[in-house]
Amino acid sequence: MKTVDTKIRIGTATLKNPVIAASGCYNRGSEFGRVTDIQAYGAITIKSVTSQPRLGNAMPRVMPVPGGLLNAIGLQGPGIDYFLTNEAPNLASTPTAIIASVAGFSVREFADVAARMNGLANVVAIELDVSCPNVDREGECFAENAASIGAVVRAVKAVVTLPVIAKLTPNVTDLKPIACAAEEAGADALSLINAVRGMVIDTARTRPWLANGTGGLTGPAIRPIAVLAVWEVARAVRIPIIGMGGIETGRDALEFMFAGATAVSIGTANFRDPDVAAKINSALVDEASRRGFTSVSALTGLANPEFAGARVSA
Amino acid sequence: MLMARTSRWARNGTRNPSSEMSAVQLALETAVVTSRESVAPGFWRVALRSPRIARAAGPAQYVATDFPGPFAVRLPLGIWTVTDDEFSLLFREWGERTAQLSRVMPGMEISVIGPLGNRFDIPEAGTRATIVAGGIGIVPFWLLGKTLIEAGVKTRAIIGARTKSMLAGVDELRELGLAMEICTDDGSAGEKGSVIDILRAHGATDMLYGCGPPAMLRALCEHANAAGTMCQISMEETFGCSMGTCWGCVVPLRRGSAQATGYPKAKEEQRAHDFSRVCTDGTVYSAADVVW
Repeated sequence: MKTVDTKIRIGTATLKNPVIAASGCYNRGSEFGRVTDIQAYGAITIKSVTSQPRLGNAMPRVMPVPGGLLNAIGLQGPGIDYFLTNEAPNLASTPTAIIASVAGFSVREFADVAARMNGLANVVAIELDVSCPNVDREGECFAENAASIGAVVRAVKAVVTLPVIAKLTPNVTDLKPIACAAEEAGADALSLINAVRGMVIDTARTRPWLANGTGGLTGPAIRPIAVLAVWEVARAVRIPIIGMGGIETGRDALEFMFAGATAVSIGTANFRDPDVAAKINSALVDEASRRGFTSVSALTGLANPEFAGARVSA
Repeated sequence: MLMARTSRWARNGTRNPSSEMSAVQLALETAVVTSRESVAPGFWRVALRSPRIARAAGPAQYVATDFPGPFAVRLPLGIWTVTDDEFSLLFREWGERTAQLSRVMPGMEISVIGPLGNRFDIPEAGTRATIVAGGIGIVPFWLLGKTLIEAGVKTRAIIGARTKSMLAGVDELRELGLAMEICTDDGSAGEKGSVIDILRAHGATDMLYGCGPPAMLRALCEHANAAGTMCQISMEETFGCSMGTCWGCVVPLRRGSAQATGYPKAKEEQRAHDFSRVCTDGTVYSAADVVW
């Protein structure tokens, strides 16, 4: 049997395999290492870091719902100064690659924080969490507007050498022009999709369950929305897509690969099965092998005839 | 942030519960159901053979459970009794996952991660301790009661519930030999009134332990802080990950508390408190640290 090459490329970065831990679900990487081997991940995306410390939203912040989890954490975090002093040094010893997620409320904040992430030991790429409100444009979400996302990506690309990944929201009428704007601005890859907006109402208290009112829905409930997003965007851009949204099993991951994803991210599924990454990797290798492929990348776009990215030959 | 925080005496003389991160190794274990019974209407006791977790479990620790069914994040449940290679869970049926768990049968396997969370601190022999439990908040107190008795701590328990049919676990707690007082909101069992009413009517104690609904815990903390009595409470929140990664289950703590994040305060931040992850930095907090 031929050995299957699991390596994938995101811009100039090479990951040892295409399974990534999604931002916000793995904190700084060490917590799940207490019960599983986190080396199973090709990379871990850390929880987004902002310019200033943030206390985040009031409680309650999460609510389990059928097929997933609704959350509104509010980007609680220490801010970039504390992060660099107290937390970044530990990333060097994380036994897999790190993708640094950056969030901001202005173009300048994104560029400043991204520039300070660039060059940290073990950090191989920067992901832009552009789902925050843009204070420069009256609170409009960056990821909802092609011009805003173009401006953020351009500003970050100008100050970093690492590959830049733009993480897009599905909460728009049409993702394609936004994805194209990110690509034109120089993004090296796209992450699709961020959480889907949602709400649960506490009928006993006659008010929304989450203190923030609205939240982001993650988990298997959003998977078909995410697969379609990857399918559509994969026809519009040539840069690699990291597919995510409710992936639990190898079969789920294959859907995203076949739709056009080069890699997949796993978030909420870790909260049920901490060993999920190893299982998905093994399933992808098995599928490539079963088809006689020498690389898992050859699975990308197989079900999408108009896949616009670079196909990897079997 | 994940450095081990050793238990220490804080400025105000209260003991800061130690963090889970300094405790024993966690296990991800396949446990076998050994028994399942209804202990009161809507309350269930499920026992599991799970040697690594049973041997490591301490008072107030919990497990994150997973079992067959449609997707759900792990269901966190407090550890009730512990004997040799087994531990039991005592829970109230509330929502789909607890209903599914109430239907498990002996011989079935479920996945458990634990023991999670920190533990109640155990004072020196001869100390007078009072346990205050409301409703399903009784769960951490079988193992605490047993540990206190074995440590020679003079322990009594005040157990309250809304009504007699919601007093789950009392018989098993009594078998430990704990001195117990019962109360219900409607007087259908024990004294009529709240656990705090009974606590106020009784003499001094050296150490208070509490678990129950937020209003009860708040009243307990206010009572303890006013009396200058050391008090530790085990708190409950809705968990996302149960592992400390998602920040979904935070509780506001006084800035500077050993279990808070210690993150700097933003310039424009109006709120004076810090936060702590109940699932990982708790569930046990010092009454002097919690901001209500």
